[in-house]
Amino acid sequence: MAEESILTDDFLRELMNVGEVDILIGVPTLNDAATVGQVVQSIRSGLLKYFPRQRSVIVNVDGGSRDSTQDIVRAASISDLAPGTNPSALRTLHCISTTHERSTENGTGLHTIVAAADLVRATICGVISPDSVSIEPEWIERLLRPVSRDNVDMVTPIYRRNKFDGLLVRNLVYPMTRALYCKQVREPHPADFAFSGRLASFFLEQDIWSQAVIQNGAETYFVISAITGGFRLTQSFLGSRPRVDHSSGDLVQALRQSVGVLFWALGKNFPTCPANSATETITATGADAEPSMEPVRVNRKRLYQMFVHGLEELNPVLNSILSASTLAELNQAAATGEDRFQYSDDLWVRTVYEFASAYHKEVISPDHIIQAMAPLYRGKTYTFLVENRDSSAGDVENNVENLCLTFERLKPYLLEIWNGRK
Amino acid sequence: MALPQDPLWYKDAIIYQVHVRTFYDSNGDGIGEFRGLAQKLDYLQELGITAIWLMPFFPSPLRDDGYDIADYRSVHSSYGTLDDFKLFLDAAHQRGIRVIIEMVLNHTSDQHPWFQESRSSRDNPRRDWYVWSETDTKYHGVRIIFTDTELSNWAWDPVSKEYYWHRFFSHQPDLNYDSPAVREEMWDVMKFWLNMGVDGFRLDAVPYLVEREGTSCENLPETHAVLKELRAKLDREFPGSMLLAEANQWPADLRPYFGNADEFHMAFHFPLMPRMFMGLKLEDRKPITEVLQQTPSIPDPCQWCLFLRNHDELTLEMVTDMERDYMYDEYAKDKSMRLNVGIRRRLAPLLDNDRRRIELMNGLLLSLPGTPIIYYGDEIGMGDNVNLGDRNGVRTPMQWDGGWNGGFSSADPESLYSPIMLNPVYGYQAVNVHSQKRFDHSLLSWMKRILRVRKSMPVFGRGSMEFLYPANHRVLAYVRELGKERILAVNNLSSSAQVVELDLQRYKGDILIEMFGKNIFPRVTDRPYLLTMGPYQFFWFRLRKI
Amino acid sequence: MWDLIVTELTRATREIVASTAHFLPRLLEMLIIVVVGWIIAFLLRYILRSVLRLIRFDKISEHAGAAQLLNKAALPAPSELLSRFVFWLAWLGFILIGINVLGIVGMQEHISNFFGFLPRLFAGLFFLFVGLLGASFFSRAALLAAVNANLPSPRLISSMVRVLIVVFTLSMCFEEIGVAERTVIVAFTLVFGALMLGLAIAFGLGGRELARRYLERRFLYDDDKKEEQDELSHL
Repeated sequence: MAEESILTDDFLRELMNVGEVDILIGVPTLNDAATVGQVVQSIRSGLLKYFPRQRSVIVNVDGGSRDSTQDIVRAASISDLAPGTNPSALRTLHCISTTHERSTENGTGLHTIVAAADLVRATICGVISPDSVSIEPEWIERLLRPVSRDNVDMVTPIYRRNKFDGLLVRNLVYPMTRALYCKQVREPHPADFAFSGRLASFFLEQDIWSQAVIQNGAETYFVISAITGGFRLTQSFLGSRPRVDHSSGDLVQALRQSVGVLFWALGKNFPTCPANSATETITATGADAEPSMEPVRVNRKRLYQMFVHGLEELNPVLNSILSASTLAELNQAAATGEDRFQYSDDLWVRTVYEFASAYHKEVISPDHIIQAMAPLYRGKTYTFLVENRDSSAGDVENNVENLCLTFERLKPYLLEIWNGRK
Repeated sequence: MALPQDPLWYKDAIIYQVHVRTFYDSNGDGIGEFRGLAQKLDYLQELGITAIWLMPFFPSPLRDDGYDIADYRSVHSSYGTLDDFKLFLDAAHQRGIRVIIEMVLNHTSDQHPWFQESRSSRDNPRRDWYVWSETDTKYHGVRIIFTDTELSNWAWDPVSKEYYWHRFFSHQPDLNYDSPAVREEMWDVMKFWLNMGVDGFRLDAVPYLVEREGTSCENLPETHAVLKELRAKLDREFPGSMLLAEANQWPADLRPYFGNADEFHMAFHFPLMPRMFMGLKLEDRKPITEVLQQTPSIPDPCQWCLFLRNHDELTLEMVTDMERDYMYDEYAKDKSMRLNVGIRRRLAPLLDNDRRRIELMNGLLLSLPGTPIIYYGDEIGMGDNVNLGDRNGVRTPMQWDGGWNGGFSSADPESLYSPIMLNPVYGYQAVNVHSQKRFDHSLLSWMKRILRVRKSMPVFGRGSMEFLYPANHRVLAYVRELGKERILAVNNLSSSAQVVELDLQRYKGDILIEMFGKNIFPRVTDRPYLLTMGPYQFFWFRLRKI
Repeated sequence: MWDLIVTELTRATREIVASTAHFLPRLLEMLIIVVVGWIIAFLLRYILRSVLRLIRFDKISEHAGAAQLLNKAALPAPSELLSRFVFWLAWLGFILIGINVLGIVGMQEHISNFFGFLPRLFAGLFFLFVGLLGASFFSRAALLAAVNANLPSPRLISSMVRVLIVVFTLSMCFEEIGVAERTVIVAFTLVFGALMLGLAIAFGLGGRELARRYLERRFLYDDDKKEEQDELSHL
């Protein structure tokens, strides 16, 4: 039996009409009619303004929207069929859309995008999240220019964020990626990013697409494999990215998307870079990552309670994941009460490393390991919120930097427990 | 062979643009003349053209390639005599070839006796034949056309101590069309040539005839009135003659020059030409379809004149700044190729001497709605010489064979009016009529074939056009229709092979017949009609219901 | 008389000698069967152990938590356990075949019964094993889901899932083996009924409080509800 193609016949026909292009921008969507129009218009303006001579295409890969998402994207096309829509455009701009029924996760979406990029031989590829409502045409330039001009292979974003925004990235994904791979990528789970055609082909050829874990967080895997593959990375400051409501809802899903992929990829790439080697800063163009300081409404008490409750209830599960000493320390810390409770960086890093090691050894089902992490992450979030309640932007950065250093310092511990018995 | 009496002959015409000086020198003085041109009429007949457009051949100081006329009723001595011209004209008519001559209404040479009289004193009776002013601030803000050479539209006349108006070079004073005497005189000039048997005029620089304060002095209603008056006289006294407007304007601004079929018969479609080159380079049909979508419809007897290249630069006045930059970067990387607002190159060098692209562009020229003009030498793929100043690089002698002076002249090479092309790619030994005649696959032979196909069906010249918009934007497809005759043209603007699906539902049941090989292609069904096309390939299909 | 005695003795002796002579080869045969059986069983164990190691059987059962279960019961690793079980089963089979060869009357029927019973025993044990694995996996999944959904008493939910699956498994297992079928079914019905009743009562009594809190939160304390939606974004 022939292997099923990820590209439908209709989509293939559309790609045929698009033909060879220089730039491909992918927009994975699912019921994003409210925002996708604005995002696609900005992409289009950016392409017209900064890349008027390049052959471009906007590819929407939809997870089966029930709203008008796909129609909105298609309507942004520039062609002679709708004359006068954009007389200043030199070229036809195809905005095409395809649906995949395989899953609602974005792994298939990104798979389709890199497959399309490879087929139409795009040399510059970008992925823009339909949630990025604050996108401006300049984002396109900042993301794509390093690829087109400087021969960079991957451009990850830096956003101006609220200081309590993206806590999982700040407290785990960024520091751990940095410690493991010795590259300071601020957003290892980027919503908007760009990569070269060379890298797109590299991604496509990887034998990863059937993995469940990739379905959840292909972006993170992209970043990691770009690092381990020795590709050239850079970062671009884009601007502020508004908080996205629906992704904050499900913590476990967020953990699967980022931490799950991080742990899984570690199994493939271990032992990554040498333990005590210095991490390499990645040049960032126009970097201005200073967080904004607006207060955020959080029920800290509830966060703490969920941590304690989870720790208590999950003790038998955690017992099979964590070392006895770590678990004991955790129990001890939890017992101190809400006011005095502190989840120290040291303990947090050991917790994370032991989780990573347990994931590798598959002591229980990997997905259960990721799920078991949620209450502990809540505890760390609580500490972070308390510690940085009145901190300035600089203080927050310092704290994150310190956590990074702790991750780096304890890396030998990870190496030690990686293959040893628990 | 008598000329057919169809008053709409110009709609089916295939015009060959030539300067008498450049074509053939029969008396060995290094300059082509009418006797030489007459000798080469057989070649032109064989090529398949139906009309010749002659560039100015009047007595002139030749400071603007003859567009500075010093006597409207004579022939420049280098090109022969009026009798030579008459001989040529009759010979052309005998071969079924019509002759269109140049008429420069807007200005004369400063050497013209009229101007000499006019400038001689302020109270000369011909003083008001030109536009005089005591100041150089009148008609302020009117654009200067030759930006590379002229600073003002006014020039100081030291003789009569006033400024005279000139839209082009300062040695070309503008005639004053507010003077009835000028209008009468110019009609008289035209009658002079029409009586001799000339079939039509290309009227040069028509938007600029009349000046009015506070306007751009272009396309004024008064100018249209002058032109309508001329046309009325023409229709009355010389029916079947044709007027062709040269006005480098946007299609919407050009539309008034057709009037209600009571002004010009034809006008050049200037904005289309650069966009054909642009579409080819972009591999995107959008520039072409868009400009044709914006082209207003014109009265039935009227017709657009299409061309790929002519004696001037490839003008980029009718494109946006972004498009102009693109064209410069893609077609004139070498700054010396740029002139005024355009690119001074011939067809073959513009297209990198790529036979497939040359064929495709000619295919477009001959299948888009309009009367095509072929610039001399382009039928054999002649090159240009950017080292010659101004636009002389595209006006080098016609290359007839690989012998002495390329067969153009028996004079010493040094005494030719212009150096002949010598380089190994475009030189006369590589590119010439004689060698191309010998082979069926030469560009010349191919041109003969395609002109024959074009002439075989009036739908090319007279039919309506409708674009098909296949989703593949590299393919430009349209259906031409006249009565029951239908033609489908499909052009691949891309350098790579393409697949295209055409929606031919309306022609369901028709059989496609490829017009060059007369081969039958599959019948049109409900499903999209699938064609695969090679790089820069084009198809002409006749749609037949059998 | 003497002659008679001598004759009888001689005959008896001869008979004993004859029957011994008759029996000795059978005994030898049995011993050979037992020894060969041991070798075959040993080989079986060896092959099975290798195969199980190759398919990382321990890892699979570890995922499901079976390893921990065995650990707690001070039993060896699952692959070891299984291979030992197969070894003994195979050898026992050979021993029984050997005894059968001895031709002891009455023995044969039991032995054939035993062999008839074997497939059902295997099936039963298989059900039991899979069931226990499933119980462990699903109870943990329930526990994690309950904790992350912030439900009350996650361990109770988890235990209930486990008990239900174990009870169901056991009943299937016994039914397959055919041990006291009716008793088992009655017992299972009783246990299941009691469990459901207990749950109903527990939910009835405990849930009253829960329901009240829920309703209050839903309709009375709107602020409380707002507070629940933290403005945290993780990624």
